[in-house]
Amino acid sequence: MIRNYFKIAFRILWKNKGYGFLNIFGLAIGIACTGLIFLWVEDEFTFNHYFSNRDNLYKVKDRQTYDGTTYTFDATPGPFAPSIKSEIPGIQNSARSTWGNSVLFSLNDKPIYEQGFYVDPSFLTMFELQFVQGNAQNAFNQIHTLVITESMAGRFFGVANIRENLVGRTLKVDNKEDYTISGVIKDLPKNVSFRFNWLSPFKIYEDHNKWLQSWGNNGVVTYVEKNPGTNAESINKTLYNYVEGKQKGATAKMSIYPMNRWRMYDSFDNGKEIPGRIRFVNLFSLIAWIILIIACINFMNLSTARSEQRAKEVGIRKVLGAGKQKLIRQFIGESIITLLVAAFFAVIIIYISLPAFNILVEKQLAVNISQPVHLFVLLVLTLVCGIIAGSYPAFYLSSFKPVSVLKGIKLVKSGNAGIIRKGLVVLQFSVSIILIIATLIIYKQIAYVKERDLGYNKNNLVFMYLQGNLKEHYRVIKNDLQSTGFVQNATLSNDQVLQLGSNTGDFVWEGKDPSKQVLITVEGVSPEYTSTMGMHLNYGRDFYPDGKSDSTNVIINESLSRIINKKNVLGSTISQGDTRYTIVGVINDFVYNNMYGPAAPLILFSNQSNCNVLSIRLKPGVQIPAALSNIKTMIKKNNPGYPFDYNFVDQQFDQLFKTETLIGELAGIFSVLAIFISCLGLFGLAAYTAERRTKEIGIRKVLGAGLGKLTTLLSIDFLKLVFLSCIIAFPVAWWIMHNWLHDFEYRIQISLWIFVAAGLLAIGIALITVSFQAIKAAIANPVKSLRSE
Amino acid sequence: MFLLKDINLTIKQGEFVSIMGPSGSGKSTLLNVVGLLDDFNEGEYHFIGQPVHQLKEKHRAQLYKSHIGFVFQAYHLIDELTVYENIETPLLYQNVKSSERQAIVADILDRFNIVGKKDLFPAQLSGGQQQLVGVARALVAKPKLILADEPTGNLNTKQGTEIMELFKQLNEEDGVTIIQATHSEKNAAYGSKIINLLDGRVEK
Repeated sequence: MIRNYFKIAFRILWKNKGYGFLNIFGLAIGIACTGLIFLWVEDEFTFNHYFSNRDNLYKVKDRQTYDGTTYTFDATPGPFAPSIKSEIPGIQNSARSTWGNSVLFSLNDKPIYEQGFYVDPSFLTMFELQFVQGNAQNAFNQIHTLVITESMAGRFFGVANIRENLVGRTLKVDNKEDYTISGVIKDLPKNVSFRFNWLSPFKIYEDHNKWLQSWGNNGVVTYVEKNPGTNAESINKTLYNYVEGKQKGATAKMSIYPMNRWRMYDSFDNGKEIPGRIRFVNLFSLIAWIILIIACINFMNLSTARSEQRAKEVGIRKVLGAGKQKLIRQFIGESIITLLVAAFFAVIIIYISLPAFNILVEKQLAVNISQPVHLFVLLVLTLVCGIIAGSYPAFYLSSFKPVSVLKGIKLVKSGNAGIIRKGLVVLQFSVSIILIIATLIIYKQIAYVKERDLGYNKNNLVFMYLQGNLKEHYRVIKNDLQSTGFVQNATLSNDQVLQLGSNTGDFVWEGKDPSKQVLITVEGVSPEYTSTMGMHLNYGRDFYPDGKSDSTNVIINESLSRIINKKNVLGSTISQGDTRYTIVGVINDFVYNNMYGPAAPLILFSNQSNCNVLSIRLKPGVQIPAALSNIKTMIKKNNPGYPFDYNFVDQQFDQLFKTETLIGELAGIFSVLAIFISCLGLFGLAAYTAERRTKEIGIRKVLGAGLGKLTTLLSIDFLKLVFLSCIIAFPVAWWIMHNWLHDFEYRIQISLWIFVAAGLLAIGIALITVSFQAIKAAIANPVKSLRSE
Repeated sequence: MFLLKDINLTIKQGEFVSIMGPSGSGKSTLLNVVGLLDDFNEGEYHFIGQPVHQLKEKHRAQLYKSHIGFVFQAYHLIDELTVYENIETPLLYQNVKSSERQAIVADILDRFNIVGKKDLFPAQLSGGQQQLVGVARALVAKPKLILADEPTGNLNTKQGTEIMELFKQLNEEDGVTIIQATHSEKNAAYGSKIINLLDGRVEK
């Protein structure tokens, strides 16, 4: 019986190659899309699955409340980790880590910057790193040691040599000391939360940063391994006021946050967890389903449209004794076979498109069709689609009455089927139009934010992190740079301007509400900061060039000035503990950290002691490559032994919008796919309709209808459907995008022309698709069409 | 408005009945009713002792599946199936096992002398050959009754005669009851009884 179905299914597919191709092609694309997105989602959901004990691993979250708003950070005090390990019974192990350090390593004059962390020895065991040389227990027995990854080993010692015994070899760090390699570990896969190439004992970092020893300073990440038998809630109860118990006034509230939620949910608003990356996962999954449904709708439409061809067969089979059940099973069986063929081609499409997709989403996805889960999902997907997409045509076809079809009575009564078919076309096009509108709005929003006046000039601005002697020899270097003729100005600052990392709530001023704590960003800079950056001084003066006279003077931004709310803010003082500072200038707000929001309150200090970044303003109109080459020479002259590692502020700025840009690109791709598949279906339907009306067209031609009139006649019905789709799509698209935009403080207004453009585009594409068939039918010889009757 | 009125017929097993009448007289309708393909609004219909009018759809389907074979004027073979597969189809719907099916179909192919054509498609056969296949298909499930609606309507004289001879043979040698609807007096003569229809009624 099943063999019979197979034979018939293939023969019928072969007999109608054109429609079969349309069907299978559309379905293959739909399945391929779903497959690619499935691989992406799988990668996201298996994030951190590398760590088998992840159910017991946590990161400590620190909540601080200022002025009614609770901020959530990952920063904890230095003594916190060892303290909770010894004092809290449910905590089996703890480890501190820095946030990520880019350090210069060199081996025999080969210097490379590598990213890594300073971690407690317990980190090596808690996170089950796979040691290929050395072991986790002893790796940090000595202080100046390094555990490196195989790929880092390959970069220094040569890929062919990483199997050699590297334990005991040394690498020079920061051109100063030699560290001994005590272990080599396998590289971590891409889908984990850590990205590092080396690990070194935390003690090194601790010794250089004595401020970490205070309970009032939060400067390191703390990881915790919980006892499996203990409840996280009970630990969190203990942790809530733990820090305040150690030092009065240290009001940070601690809690542990499970590793299983790091990737998808680690997002907080006012202290409460809000959906993080899971939103994207849900969004992309939704889009995958939509594309697949559109393809299945095509299948349903084409199958029912061509049902008249199968009517006779249905009638005969019924006469020969086929019950409705058997017929339904036969047609669903045919659908499943078509789906299986489509699935086969889908896998080929996935293989071909995966490299490009990987580049787009920056992952290393692999098809791995032999993997049981993948195979299973593919088969289930195919079967479900086959059954669902095949059910409507199956029920429709099997309901034909044998007597009517055998008498040759044409199925004029296609009323219901016609409406459903039209409804499905409207649905397809509505979805496509919504996607087009979404794409246009997303791109517009991104462009809008990128063009935002940040309050300083981000173009032609280079920055680099200070290494070696750069800080000590800053003055000399600055002069040298300016003497090249390419550099207009240079300045030092704690952080790079897009990401200012230090803030505190300790500042008070006369008239400040004592009950409210205000979180203020603090930044130490060299005197020429505001001029190099191109910031606008609204009141008062800039810092004196000598960099010493203003040791107790500060410049604040408009935002802070508004909060202080004094008539004459210049000359007034602001204090932190026992130190008093005088406000000598107010600069216009500039945007940092959150590109969509307003500028948070900020204080600039004329203090270079903690500066880490050198920013260089290029003269306008210079040739960039020449400028960079000159700067490089100058920097290297003063700071030999370090590679010239620089960034452009405007390029870093663009990087901040990677996620939004990715969303925009994906929306664009999906709109193209959705419209393409919808048009495949429309093409098939138009062909079929033209075929069915061959006789009518022949008669009209004979009666004198011209090409234009005939084309209009055949196209108008479809165009009405697309027009209806527009009407449905517009409000839905507006509602969705309005909500999406609402998340951004700085956003565009949705303008009318976007809808008009999307509508015209959809109608235009549909018109082209349909008119091809219409014209073909209209120029056919009427004699031929009439004779066949 | 009626298609058939005041029909009172009794047909015994083994009879060969011809129903004659002009176009539109209701011949096909009568055949469809007898063959349980169509319903009727008034009256009774007993088929081998079963009161068809009182039976559920499923039961009725069961009856005609196993006891009635149809032969059509336009043959109505399934174009996508070979001769073998066309003949086999009724057996599939009766859930006959694969090996049994093979045996039965082989038998009939043999009997009708079309073994060499079993893998051809209907489009490759002449009208007469197609009808032959149609008759073979009607017979394959060993029905008690064959209903033939203008079986020779699309055939030339020679082909038509062959088919009618075949019917005669089936009726006399295998005891198959045959009811045929026909225009042709020549064909009608093959039967043992003739019923004339005019405008839906039996003409006396």
